[in-house]
Amino acid sequence: MGHSNWAEWIYVAVVIALLVYVGAEAWNIENLIEHTPQDAEIIKVTAQQWLWTFEHEDGTKEVGELHLKKDHAYKFEIQSIDVNHNFNIPEFVVLMDAVPGRVNTVWFSPNQAGEFDIQCREYCGLIHYNMRAKLIVEGV
Amino acid sequence: MSRIFHLSIVIATLFIIPTVSLAFAAETAGEYIDRKAEIWNLFFRMMTVAFVVGGVIAGTMVWQVWRFRESNPKSKPTPYEEKGEL
Repeated sequence: MGHSNWAEWIYVAVVIALLVYVGAEAWNIENLIEHTPQDAEIIKVTAQQWLWTFEHEDGTKEVGELHLKKDHAYKFEIQSIDVNHNFNIPEFVVLMDAVPGRVNTVWFSPNQAGEFDIQCREYCGLIHYNMRAKLIVEGV
Repeated sequence: MSRIFHLSIVIATLFIIPTVSLAFAAETAGEYIDRKAEIWNLFFRMMTVAFVVGGVIAGTMVWQVWRFRESNPKSKPTPYEEKGEL
């Protein structure tokens, strides 16, 4: 068929350009989000039906409450001792599965002081709806 | 040639890209970022792309239906229709 197909080539080029743009942007942001700053404090998070336990680097333990400092980086090492849970701080878009036998990590730096919710975001049984904790960010 | 090309794409997807991203994640230390802003901004950019693509595709379909309708003054019968085969 001897017809002109320049429109099809433009269409293909636009699709490829869009896919490259979407991939590059997502890759870039994912890299930014996954790279933990060197001075991040490690906090061990243990999920169990139906409460959260937090252990700071100095060995201090908290149950159902987490005290952090504003503008400081924290890396959470999240594990579960029974079923699948999900560690979620909605206000700071922190979300990571807690899976038995695995340690999953996520980091964030709170940039505002105040009280925020921590919740389980994976259905984990009868009291899942009330598996909450309080995040208290103290201003420096 | 084409087989090698396809094979290399599969290998890159399965092995090379995950290995490279893991290696980079382990080596470079991150900077302080506003996680909420980064994630939501990415979401809004992706939504913009998605709506533009959706708009272009929907627009193309509307234009095609309008342009190639039988009652359009510019429409010409296909070779099959001219011969009365359809």
